[in-house]
Amino acid sequence: MSVKIRLSMLAAASAFSLLTSLPAWAEGSLSIYAWADSIAPEAVAKFEKETGIKVTVDAFSSNEDLLTKLQAGSSGYDIVTPSQHFVKIMIDSGLLEDIGASSMPAFQQILPEWQKQWWDPTGNYSVPLAYGNAGFTVNRNLYKGPVDSWKVYFEPSEELKGKIASLAQADEVIPAAQNYLGIPYCSEDPKEMKRVLDLLQAQKPFVAAYSSDNIENRIGGGEVAMHFWWDGNTMRVRRNDKANVEYAMPKEGLVGWLDSYAVPKGAANLDNAKKFIDFMAKEENATIEYNYYGHSSPVKVDASKALYNKENAPELFPTVPVKMGQACSPAAQELVTKVWTQLLQ
Amino acid sequence: MNQRLRLPSWNVLGLLPAQLIMLLTLIIPVGIIILVSFSTRGPYGGFDYVFTTAPYKQILFNEGWSGELEFNPQYLIVVARTVILSLATTIICLALSFPVAYFISLQKTSAKMLLIYLVTLPFWVSMIVRVYSWIIILGNDGVIAKALRALGITNNIGSLLFTDTAMLIGLVYSYIPLMILPVFASIEKLDPALVEASHDLYGSRLTTLRRVILPLCRPGMVAGAILVFVPCLGAVLEPVLLGGGKTMMMGNLIQLQFGAARNWPLGAAISIVLMCAVMIFLLWRGIHAMRKEGRENGA
Repeated sequence: MSVKIRLSMLAAASAFSLLTSLPAWAEGSLSIYAWADSIAPEAVAKFEKETGIKVTVDAFSSNEDLLTKLQAGSSGYDIVTPSQHFVKIMIDSGLLEDIGASSMPAFQQILPEWQKQWWDPTGNYSVPLAYGNAGFTVNRNLYKGPVDSWKVYFEPSEELKGKIASLAQADEVIPAAQNYLGIPYCSEDPKEMKRVLDLLQAQKPFVAAYSSDNIENRIGGGEVAMHFWWDGNTMRVRRNDKANVEYAMPKEGLVGWLDSYAVPKGAANLDNAKKFIDFMAKEENATIEYNYYGHSSPVKVDASKALYNKENAPELFPTVPVKMGQACSPAAQELVTKVWTQLLQ
Repeated sequence: MNQRLRLPSWNVLGLLPAQLIMLLTLIIPVGIIILVSFSTRGPYGGFDYVFTTAPYKQILFNEGWSGELEFNPQYLIVVARTVILSLATTIICLALSFPVAYFISLQKTSAKMLLIYLVTLPFWVSMIVRVYSWIIILGNDGVIAKALRALGITNNIGSLLFTDTAMLIGLVYSYIPLMILPVFASIEKLDPALVEASHDLYGSRLTTLRRVILPLCRPGMVAGAILVFVPCLGAVLEPVLLGGGKTMMMGNLIQLQFGAARNWPLGAAISIVLMCAVMIFLLWRGIHAMRKEGRENGA
């Protein structure tokens, strides 16, 4: 009962602070807009206990949703967690706050290979939170064949008709098709993109749904035999739900992503946001986050407490090339949209 | 001239709060949408206030794969699908609502109240939950599939969910209460004496239905049809959740333009076209009804 009351008060308080954003209310609160189920509740509770700052976490389910919300102005959020190519777009469009991340304690925790990458060359706007890749997952009860190439997914055999599912976002699916066809990401050549469209159109009769919700049930429960999906999610559904699934390692390459903490321009609780980012980058908290989220950690974790390793979570240790998704130019984006519109028209 | 200078009368001033709300929540936002639809798209979404009619041209003409501007029916196909699905939904709703409403109107007052309450019950549940429940009903392990399997009729009906049929079922289910209520209201107002009179004049059951009951219930049916048809045009959830996202309706197309496509002006332009289509449809209905009334009064 008391928990319920506290939660509702929290919700009311945060709603109130969002609406009014009075400084007096803003003092002790922090609102986070992150990928669904991406932030460990245990870590959030620990942060609240240590600092007395009230945290609310809302979920988005695609980078585009997040970008649109920030572009529409005053989102009311203090921390957002875009993927690498959207970090670049947001920095370029002036939507993020320069928080001087490269001089924050959190920066020292970032593994060297993820510091000051092309999406944030000064390292001042973002601190990475998790990374992984997009590929496809098969249900081994329904599909026994090989999973070493995108061919089995994009040009499936006859018995898989209506047994394949894709995602609802062009930004996820098209780079994978480009990997398969050997076309560079964000191609501005219409002829190349026409080949992508032809490939996806030929695949369409096999596709049961283009949907990014409820994937666990669809692939784990066997509604479909193959699903476009992510590494860590596959690992979690295999370990936690004992689903007979396998993450494919296509030789043409997986599509890499990395999500970062960033602060939207004009955030009301800038200092609290920085406190939270530093907190989450600490080794013990990063370990809690790693164990909860199940995606690879770009910050140092405590190896003795980390749950996943090469043996029990092969999904997180790809044996094929991983090519990071790019921020497309408007011209290239136009072609991506054209492919997607004509595919679903 | 003098008349124009006269101060507005009190009843006009009394309506001011309502008009203010209309202005702030309807007219100004629509104005903004119109403004965006004539703006230039920003490189990564958003828009700049530079006047252009390109978004409207884009609805019909697009660069082809060879790079030349050509007539492209891709958006018109989506519009046509939306209109056809909405019409089908309206017709099915009408066909199902009439017997239901008639049945309810024949009950005792207490039963009537209960049944009407049951019809409105779905409104208390979130739209997403209502549509989602059909995933569970139509899915591979759903009620229908299990029943058919248990009865030994068929083993292979994995194709129920993620089809156009599933989409149509979802649309009909979502909007049918909006049809039942006005149809019920007009049946309630029907004078039983007229039905009796028709029988007295040797009208058969079919003739009575055709010549007496249906014409008298027309206003309710028209109101219901508008209430179902118009929101159907903007449906977003059903194509995504039940249609499996394989084909778009106009709502999804607009969402795509504001989201992944990062082309807000085009999204706004499509919204305006959708809105104009609805307004033309309603105007046509209105003029039609007014003319008819005029004829009847004149005769």
